[in-house]
Parts: sequence; C-alpha cells; structure tokens
Amino acid sequence: MVEMFINDQPIKVKEGITVLKAAEKAGIHIPHICYHEAFPPEGNCRMCLVEIEGHLCLELACATQVKEGMKVYTDTENVIEARKGVLEFLLAEHPMDCPICDKAGECTLQDYYEEYGLFESSFQEEKERKDKKVNIGKGLILDQERCVLCTRCVRFLRDITKTNELGVFNRGVHSEIGVYDNQLIENNYAGNLVELCPVGAITDRDFRFKTRSWFLEKGASICPLCSRGCQIFIEYHPGFARFEVPKRVYRVTSRVTSREESQKEKGFWICDIGRYGYSYMDKDRAETIIQKEQDLSGDKEKTVKNIDKKIKKLIYRNKLERMGVILNSWLTNEELFLAKKIFAWDLKLKKVYFPEPAQGEKDDLLLAEDRTPNKKGAEEIGFSFDRINQEELFENTELLIVFWSSPFELGTISELTPPLNKVQTKILFTPFKRKWNDLFDMVIPTAVSAEKGGSFANCDGKIQHFGPVLSPPGEAQAEWKWLVSLGKEIGIDFKSYARMWSPLDVYKSIKDKIKFFRT
Amino acid sequence: MSPEVTKSTQKKIKELIARYPKKQAAILPVIHLVQREKGYISDEEEKLVAELLEIKPIKVREVVTFYSMLSQKPLGKYHIQVCSNLTCSIMGAEKLIDYLSEKLGIKPGETSEDGKYTLSTVECLGACEQAPSMMVNTDYYGHLDKKKIDKILKELDE
Amino acid sequence: MPEKVLTKNFDMEHLFKIDVYMKKGGYKILSNVLKKLKPEDVLKEVKAAHLRGRGGAGFPAGVKWGFVPKEVDKPKYLCVNADEGEPGTFKDRYIMSHNPHMLLEGIVITCYCVGIHTAFIYIRGEYENIAQRLEKAISEAEEKGFAGKNILKTGFDLNIYVHRGAGAYICGEETALLESLEGKRGNPRLKPPFPAAIGLFQSPTVINNVETLSNIPHIMNKGADWFVKQGISEDGGTRIFGVSGKVKKPGIYELPIGTSLKELIFNHAGGMKSNKKLKAVIPGGMSSPILKPDEIDIPMDCESLMKADSMLGSGAVIVLDEDVPIIEVLRKITQFYSHESCGQCTPCRIGNSWIHKTVTRIYYGRGKKGDLDNIEKLASNMLGRTLCPLGDAAAMPILAVVKKFRKELEAELKGSGR
Repeated sequence: MVEMFINDQPIKVKEGITVLKAAEKAGIHIPHICYHEAFPPEGNCRMCLVEIEGHLCLELACATQVKEGMKVYTDTENVIEARKGVLEFLLAEHPMDCPICDKAGECTLQDYYEEYGLFESSFQEEKERKDKKVNIGKGLILDQERCVLCTRCVRFLRDITKTNELGVFNRGVHSEIGVYDNQLIENNYAGNLVELCPVGAITDRDFRFKTRSWFLEKGASICPLCSRGCQIFIEYHPGFARFEVPKRVYRVTSRVTSREESQKEKGFWICDIGRYGYSYMDKDRAETIIQKEQDLSGDKEKTVKNIDKKIKKLIYRNKLERMGVILNSWLTNEELFLAKKIFAWDLKLKKVYFPEPAQGEKDDLLLAEDRTPNKKGAEEIGFSFDRINQEELFENTELLIVFWSSPFELGTISELTPPLNKVQTKILFTPFKRKWNDLFDMVIPTAVSAEKGGSFANCDGKIQHFGPVLSPPGEAQAEWKWLVSLGKEIGIDFKSYARMWSPLDVYKSIKDKIKFFRT
Repeated sequence: MSPEVTKSTQKKIKELIARYPKKQAAILPVIHLVQREKGYISDEEEKLVAELLEIKPIKVREVVTFYSMLSQKPLGKYHIQVCSNLTCSIMGAEKLIDYLSEKLGIKPGETSEDGKYTLSTVECLGACEQAPSMMVNTDYYGHLDKKKIDKILKELDE
Repeated sequence: MPEKVLTKNFDMEHLFKIDVYMKKGGYKILSNVLKKLKPEDVLKEVKAAHLRGRGGAGFPAGVKWGFVPKEVDKPKYLCVNADEGEPGTFKDRYIMSHNPHMLLEGIVITCYCVGIHTAFIYIRGEYENIAQRLEKAISEAEEKGFAGKNILKTGFDLNIYVHRGAGAYICGEETALLESLEGKRGNPRLKPPFPAAIGLFQSPTVINNVETLSNIPHIMNKGADWFVKQGISEDGGTRIFGVSGKVKKPGIYELPIGTSLKELIFNHAGGMKSNKKLKAVIPGGMSSPILKPDEIDIPMDCESLMKADSMLGSGAVIVLDEDVPIIEVLRKITQFYSHESCGQCTPCRIGNSWIHKTVTRIYYGRGKKGDLDNIEKLASNMLGRTLCPLGDAAAMPILAVVKKFRKELEAELKGSGR
C-alpha cells in the first residue's frame, strides 16, 4: 500500500495502480474516453490529463502509476483548460448528429461537454466528411464521422476475440476505422462494440432509431440463455401514460463494469446470443390459464385446487405411482427445491424426470455448451439427468405435470403426441404459447427469469441471486409461487410452505438442507 | 496480370523475411519490392503480402494507407514528385508545379492517360540546398527552373 | 579555419568505396577499439565527450547508452535513425552518400560498447539510391571482416541491415520508428517504458541519429577532451549545419557547435541572395521557433537557443527574405504537420488540421477577426498535451510566427488574399 494525495486529500491505495484508479477509489471521477479497464492504457484521447507535483507537463492519469507521496491535482486551472481543449478538438470534427444519434443520453461527449465544456464553438471551417453507414457485420453500423478514434473497438477485436476484423486506415485527420472489404465481423461478441464505443459511431440495427435511452429503465438480472449466467441489465420501456409503446424490452446490456467484479477480463462482456436473444421475454407469451374441462381463467386459487384434486384422487386410489413430473434446468434453485420437496419428499414420487439440457457449441470466451441456466443447481439439489425412460414415464401414467420454462422446443408435435396421448391428464406449466400447448389439458402461464426473484448456479459453481425486473403478463406468475400454493394445498407439510413468502425464504430452507448452497 | 511476383522477387522476399525475428517486420521492404514490380498495391497485392508474411490482409492495408510512398492506385511509368514544403516553396516550387501540370496535362495527384506520368506534390525531400527540388522515381533533381524541367522531361521521353 | 571532422575528405571521389576509405585510415579505429578496449572504456569516453544527439532532441548519447541494462536474456538492438524528415535538413544525406563507411564504423563501435548484435538502419524511403549505396558498403565491410560474424576475428558478431521507410515524417520519432520497423503503422508509443528497456520487439534498444553515430570513430580516435574542444560551447564536437533558402550558397557547413548563426549565414553561406533584406531565420529545422533579424546574433548550441525560446534541433537553417510573405510560411508549416500527423492522439490530429484550415482560409483572403487569437489558443492546447513531440514541434513554431509577425498577419486578415 502507498499513501498519496489527490487534490490534497490523502488516500491509501495498492502499489502499482494507476492514478485514474486511485482517484476512482477516492470518489473522484477523472474523465477519460480511450481508457477501458479490460485493456492496457492507450493514451490517445488525452482527456485524462492531470497535474502531478514535480512534473513539468500534465500527465495521463490512465497510464501513470501511483508512487508514495505523489500529489495529484484534478481540478486546477491547467487541468480544466486541458480538458476543455481536448473536448473542443473532438467536437470540432464531430458531426452535429445528436438529434438522430442513438447514443444520445448516454454519450461520453455529451456528458463531458455538459460537465467540463459548455463553451461556444469557435470552429469556422469545413468538417471532414467520411462514410456514415459502413456495414461492419452482424447488424453493426459504423459512422466514421462520429468516430473519435479511441480505438477501443479495434483493441477489443485484437485482444479479446482475437479476430482483428477492424483496422485504422489513412493518416492524420483522414484516419478512419473500417473493415477489410467484405471480411465483416462474424464473431459472437460483436454487440459489445456498441457498448464499448464511447460515442454513437458504432450502433446496431436492433436498437437503431427504436427509442431514446432516457426512456428506458434498467434492471439487474442474470442471462438464462446458457449456463455461464452472465450478469446483465435488462433495459425496458415502462410505457407512456397516453399511448402504447411497441416493445417492452429494448435491449440487454452487460452489467459488469469493474475489474474487481469481473471474472478477470471476461466479465466485462456478454455474448451476442445473450445480448440479442431477449425476444423470448415478450414474444408468444402464455397469459391466460387454460383448462379444457372448465374455465378457470383469472382464478389462481381455483387452478391450484383443481391440480390438488387430481393428485388427491390418485392418493385415495393408492395409485400415486401413476403420477409423473418433468422438470427442466431453466427453473431457479428455489423452484427446483420446492419441486423436489413437493414431488420427491412430500408425495414420494419416483417418476421425476429431467430432459437432457439443450446443448450448443461453446466458444473460447463465455458461451457454454449447456444452454440452460441452472443445470448445476438442479444437480446439487439432487436431480439427475439420466435419459428419460419413455416407457416408464408414459406407460401407466395417469397424471403428468410438465414444467417447461425454456423458449426452445421440447420436441415436435408429431414426436410428442403419441407419448402424451397415453397419459390421461396432462398439465403444463410454461411461460410460452406454443403449438404443443394444445396437447395438454391444463396450461398454466408462468414467468420468465426476468420476471421473478430467485437464483441460478452457473457452470463455474457460482450462485447468483436476482430479483424481478419486469412484471409477468396477464395471469402468469412465477413457478415458485404456483408451487408454494400447491404445496400448501396438498397439505402434507403445510407449515413449511406457509412460511415461504419470498424466494429468500425458500433459499433459507435450501441452505438448511443442502451444503452447496451455504457458500 | 498474375497476382504472383517473379521468382527473383520471391527469392529476395525470402531473404528479407529472414532478417527479422517476426515476419510482420518485413512488411515495408516486401511492399517496396512488390510495388516496384507491380506498380502499385491493389487488393491482390495486399492479399499476396499478407500470405507471405502470415498476417491478415487488413494489417497490410493499414500499413499501405498510412505511408505516403505506397500507392493503392496505379502509378505512371515516371512518378514526378515535386517538393511543396517551405524552402522549395519560397524558391518557386508552386510555379513549377503549375508549369508541370500544364506541360503534362494533369493536376497533382493525377496520372496521364497514356500511363507515362504521375504528378504529385510531396513534403520535404531532404534536398533543400538545391531548392526547388523534385524526385522522379528514385532520382533527385534540384536547382529546378522551367528550362531544366523541359530538359528532364525530354530525357524521360527518350 | 576550424578543423573538419565529419566532412573531411567529402570532396574525394569514391570515398564511399571501402578501399578508398581504408586508405584514408578507415576502420583502423574500429580495430583498435575491438582489440584493445573494453565496452566500458568506450562508454566512458563517449560520456566524457558530451556528445549530444544530432537528430533534433539533443539527448546525450552516452547517457542514453547507459540506460540499457547490461545483463538481459533478450537480444539488444541498435536502430540508426536515418529518417531525416525535418524540413530544412539534408546533412545525413550527405554523410550516407559521401562517407557511408564512417557511419558503419560508428555503428560497429557503438554496438560493441552496448553489447548489440543486430543493427537496423531505418532510412527514409525517398533515399532509395542512398539505401543501395549503404547496402553495398555493408557487403564490402562484411567481406573485409568489419561487420557480420566474428568481426576482425575478435568473436564479436554484428549484422547490419538497411530498412527503408515509406514516406512518414513521424517515423523519425524514435518509438514510431520502432513501430514502423516492427511492420505496423508509425504510431508513437507511450513513454515510459523507454526504448532502452523495452524497445524493438520488446527488447532493449538504442536509437541514434546518423550524424551522432558518425562522430563515434572520431571520439574514439582522438579522445573525449579533443572532441569537447572542437565545440565553442559546453557541448562537444562540430555540427554539420545545413543552410537553405534565400542565401547565396545553400549547402552543408561543418562548424564548431556554438558558431554564431549570423556568422553561419553571412560569412559561410555567402549572405543574402540578390542582396535582399533578411526577414526571418528558422534556426534548427521547421520545428524550431522562428527568429527575427535582431535575434540571430546567437551561438548555435542547445543551451543558447533554448534560452532564446527556440531550439538547435537538427541544425537546419532556413533563411527567409523580405519577399517571403509570412502567411506563406505559416501555411507551409501547418500544411506539413497536418499532413504528417499520425492521427493517434486528439490534439495533434485535429489541432493541426484545424489550424491549417484556418490559415488556408486567411491565405485566400477569407480571414476573420479573431482567427489569430483562435490559432494561438489551438496551438496552446496542443503544446504539452500530445502523445509524442510532434504536437510540440507543430505548436511551437506556429506560436512563434503568430507572436513575432502579428502585425503582418493582421494585415492579411484585412487583405484580399491570393
């Protein structure tokens, strides 16, 4: 540890960190554009210049390491003038695109101009004209005029994905970023470039012209599209009072922004599958309780009672072995625990199955093979992923409850109809409206992970808790709520379920019972 | 035109690459050889150099567009590069550039239709004591005036 | 007449051929150094000679060599900076075309001193004919055992290669030179780390100018004390000054460091061409702030010119007479730097272009009130704020011209241009 001074304020910091980092720790933000924690300092924007006692010239905060007794000043006249100077240079050759630029509201130049600039333009010349709609691949569009040549995008593709699709061409003020002819960006991390770009030079088609950043609310969640469980923000439009908004979720962004939180450099990013795969949250959602026998719509209590009736019928006939349950690894730990408790421990069912989790190709960075968020959680709670014995499951089964939380298909209609036909009563808990829902006698709408609280255990064994960001549509509610009601209704262990008011309560029980979750 | 270079150039390129611990370091000497033979560096040459040095073509283009002497467009047989920097300017370079423009029928940056001449203005050539100076391919000419230029053009024509 | 050290024998035909060079005593000093002296002895002598770099920055060579770590498990490199891009400078061209072997001898002695076995001569692309002459000289030297493997059978190996640039002034900056040599765009690097520790291919590297290295054989021949005495001021040795512009005899003049600028122009270079009146002098290449006629009674050495808010730089003197409009000087300065800026850092990339656009507008008669103040503001915003010295090299001369010739420039604002 070394002791140094920032604006005459003494602070103790780790040896070898940069002045920029040290200032952050002291709560002082030094403006910077080209610096990003994932890469070594580049030093080309010149925005982070600060005064250091004993140094003749201003020094870069991002590239200067702290020393014992160093005195740094971030608010002297010199420093303020330097910042204004850099801003003025950048704005001089920057197009007046704010009214049509997607980055408005979250743009570094805008923010810094408001904080450190507020001067009148003295630029009386012609601005450089460059290409404003360069297709660089994967729906990304590069506007070379807006580009401030921080080279974050080039460095990302050089150091992180190691694919080098972008380069800097020409020299001086004619410098521009670009791709090589038609060798466009194809890797699975291209979307990060939009977040990385400090201005609106790189934008993506998914978000372009759809809304304004200041209309969006942000909620913290975990991406459920693979077992890595990257931390994300779900950015949604809360709606206007007087007219409808076409979308609910507008984008998903990465949540990790500091090296301490990140899993080394990987943590700053999310892959394109997670970033652009959010349509499942809003598309084809099951919103009403469907019952073929009678209309239970709107009445959650009656629905649970109905399910309980069917289970009790089997109990009275002593034929509980004719009940089967299919779960899945998209369910949260809380939901899986409740399912285990109700079906395996309370009802002592043998036929509790997990289909093999969906697999996909993994890559070198984040994307895991297992495309479900909670296989690890399911394993630790005590479920196994042996192949479903079709005969065992569908022969001699009168009541089958299926929890299918994944937006992907379990099978085709022709594949699923014959086995399901063998079962008398079929109940489906799902968030989605799919064709195969018609094969079931009851379809109960549930919530996606963005709409509930709970936890997942990722492929690295990390348990991540999250809270609801959105509200479930219509009559849908989180599986854990349905299960708690069911557990109470079945009545074998009413007291336990009666205490479970929130996912945290459920988690307490999990911790009591299973060591893995006590970390 | 064949994208490949002659065997003797290939041999020279191999020798050059062997001088450096990293192949990419040979990029400028290799591009000079290729440009000498092919006249300029088009997409084909970019890919060829990239292959020879085992790097991506984008890295070649980054270099070709950075340096003034490397050209992505075909150059004339005689590339006339007139210095337009300070000393040469005050010694009358601008008038000579206009004169050359007139004589060759092209503006600075252009190549004559018969592909014989390319006229360019360049920065300091390092021949200020002979200002105004110019370079034609690899040869320097100094103490220029209209008469001298006429003489040089006549020699080039032959 | 002061003694000619570097340019001695320049008038000899074929001095660039090794036989002629050897007849004049060439490579005897190398032999003496390799066989009789230790590397530390060489370093001591060069340090004592107060040999400042002749490229423009003027950093003492001996000190620079001393920064290279002695024991290291990476190969060390020498890069000879023959990029000579500073407008007004042509001295290295003379050295390399007239006496390449003197440079080579200096290179071998330097590499012996620092423990280097690979040297690259980074020569500007335009000097193609000279590059060929250098390559020939290297072959000749290798044949005679003065370079290559087992030099003079002392067991010292050194490979010298010529590496041609391709037209980029910025590659004369040492870290941009390294980037260019590594096969990339000539973007300067952040310092620290310094090249002496992490340079070419991440290894310790020494970068020296052609003229600097050409002095080494002479220092080792006649000693540091002699060398110091060759200069008039504190710094040792002679400089090859290049005089161009409106003088009767433009050319190179080897004179002691500290020779008066006035004497250089009027005694040696023949005085004003066509007997016109002197208007201004740029003393050390375009990057050095301009001097007015009442400021040229000044010794040409680093200290004196720094005190006068200018710099010795590359010792390239450009003489301007009463017929040269100052707006033209400003236009050419800004044209050069905006063309040569690598574009990496904000102030230089945009500042140079912006100032050039403004000056061009003034040149064509569309100047506005406030333009000059704006130019000064922009140049001040470049000074000390850029990644490499090119920003300063542009800002300082611009500020000097605007300050010292304010009246003439203000008249341009009111004028009708050209």
